[in-house]
Amino acid sequence: MERRGFLKAGTAGFASLMTGTGLLSWAPRAEAATINKTLYITAGTQTMPDGVSIYVKGFSDSSADLNVPATPIICQEGDTLQITIINRLAVTHNFVIGGLKAGDPPLVSSGDIAGGGSKTITYTIPTGKAGSYLFYDNKTSYNVFLGLHGGLAIMPAGSSNQLYSGSPTFVKQLFWVFNDIDPALNNAVQNGTAVPTSLTPRYFTINGQTSLPPGAVGFDDPTKDAMANPETQLAGSVGDRTLVRMLNAGMCSHAVHTHANHMEWLTDRGTVRPSVWKKDVLYLRNQLGKIDAIYPFEAPPDAYPPVTTGHFPMHLHDEMSQTAGGGLYLFGAMTDIVFK
Amino acid sequence: MSTNGNGNACYVYPGAPATPGFVTPDVLFQRGIYMNGSMTFDDGKSVTIWGFTDLAAGGGGGGGGDQMGGGSFPSPAIRVTEGQIVHTSLSVNMMWMHTIHHHGIEPSTENDGVGHLSWDVYNGTYTYQWRPQHAGTYFYHCHVNTPLHAEMGMYGALIVDPKPTPGDPAGTKRAFYNGPTYDVEAIWACDEIDPAWHTLPWYAGTCGGDVGLNNLNPRYFIITGVDGASSALTNPAVAVNMKLGQTLLVRYICAGFYPQKISFGGLIASVVASDGRPLPAAWNTGAIEAHSAERYDCIIKPTSTGIWTVSIQYLHWRTGAVLGTAKTRINVT
Repeated sequence: MERRGFLKAGTAGFASLMTGTGLLSWAPRAEAATINKTLYITAGTQTMPDGVSIYVKGFSDSSADLNVPATPIICQEGDTLQITIINRLAVTHNFVIGGLKAGDPPLVSSGDIAGGGSKTITYTIPTGKAGSYLFYDNKTSYNVFLGLHGGLAIMPAGSSNQLYSGSPTFVKQLFWVFNDIDPALNNAVQNGTAVPTSLTPRYFTINGQTSLPPGAVGFDDPTKDAMANPETQLAGSVGDRTLVRMLNAGMCSHAVHTHANHMEWLTDRGTVRPSVWKKDVLYLRNQLGKIDAIYPFEAPPDAYPPVTTGHFPMHLHDEMSQTAGGGLYLFGAMTDIVFK
Repeated sequence: MSTNGNGNACYVYPGAPATPGFVTPDVLFQRGIYMNGSMTFDDGKSVTIWGFTDLAAGGGGGGGGDQMGGGSFPSPAIRVTEGQIVHTSLSVNMMWMHTIHHHGIEPSTENDGVGHLSWDVYNGTYTYQWRPQHAGTYFYHCHVNTPLHAEMGMYGALIVDPKPTPGDPAGTKRAFYNGPTYDVEAIWACDEIDPAWHTLPWYAGTCGGDVGLNNLNPRYFIITGVDGASSALTNPAVAVNMKLGQTLLVRYICAGFYPQKISFGGLIASVVASDGRPLPAAWNTGAIEAHSAERYDCIIKPTSTGIWTVSIQYLHWRTGAVLGTAKTRINVT
């Protein structure tokens, strides 16, 4: 049993997640800085919408927290990342920041962090590395699925409104980190039994939460409902172009579908697209796939009479992902798009 | 918790109100539903299919007012011209709930067909009002208990034709305004069928319990309602017969839930639009990888006579393994 640092997500974990401004905030600096961060590898349980308790692990803000995913990190080119990872569990873990493009080597790897031990990584970000990154544990092929992942945004030096130098501009930004959970895996890790060779996910999360529809316990509670969480929800007025950094920490590929507006598709797996396509569905690959896209917050073009306000969903169109425990449609990886 | 009159469904939002801002439309589509259709595969086995009927054409669901009959699969296409004010009315009895989401069309909340943000049509008629601004390939589908209802077949093509480009002779067909012209059109909605799902009731799983909606294990792989094992190779509703010198527009719709890879059998497609939007520059390719609900508009101009076999591979969303392949043909004489 991996009991050390045993916590319950959704309490302390989400309390720390909720201290931000609601979106990933950023003010560029003229000078590079050193970004100091300490992450604690903790474990505990998270309750799924059908009441099932799942064992999860996270890169957390304190030894008393359980953050799944980790609190996002944002910095700029030229900065030095100095991240200390303290392993509060009994088994060996590690910490990796994946490369920018598919096939790139990791930006940085901690190497093994023994149970109870710690490591500090230091990495100065060169020019040309602006983009969206997933950090995770790859000590095993499945640790990332347990919750050991988070998003890192590297801004172009001196910019507050571009994904990369010369990119289309935005006024807000946020992460959508997706995960798929097969309790058989989590249970096996918790109990120290053989990990299943074939996985079938039963729960699907966005930024660690599922949607909770009207009538459900927790509906509209930002600490529980992915539709209401200001770090997940796309909310804005017409013109509030929002960059969405989509990271797939899970085991399945997904089809990200927005209502009300097409997205401007900027990158696929870290590579800038040759031109910007406008899409209502984007193919988010598994195996640590990534997409950057701008939701333009234009008035819904096909409304008659015209409208500038309303509520719409973002959901995954591989509709199995919209369920929990084999049923409960509307309790999956979905959030709300709010035209204020 | 919301339930229907029989208490079988949870987290549904029944309603059939008047349409906000209702105006006289340029074009009207009247849709009912059918809940007891079927599809027979090449191996002789069949599954239950649900879908939408065309009430104006007398398609009331076959079983009279109980909507327990059959109908066409996929559901009848909706075809409009950009700029038209469109009404799609949906009539549903008190046995179940459905909506129409015009996928890729971006109307007001009330007309988007998403029940938890508006209503699920129940025991009445709701008229969706919208005005498409972008020509291209879309599809419509039910958005109630969507994993099940879409899998059961509740979808149809939605094509928005462009306004005429000035100077075009009558009858000219274009993919979009001032876009490429075409002579022959194919609509390939590629879908996978898991027979185990096709025995479930419309509300399956909505109140909880494991009915398997997280776990799709398809056994059949179809193109526009035709079995891709062999029938689609020759079925005239799917296979293309064209003359050398003609231009083909393939409207490819990834109508299933799993990723797909369509290969054009050695022909090169000029992909000119996706998801109802022209691409900044045409993309020439022999194959496209797509995921659920993506659409690609592909111009193909064969340069010789011949027979090309088009294949669609259906890929597992986790392993990437090829679960099955559907095939059809482009015959050029």
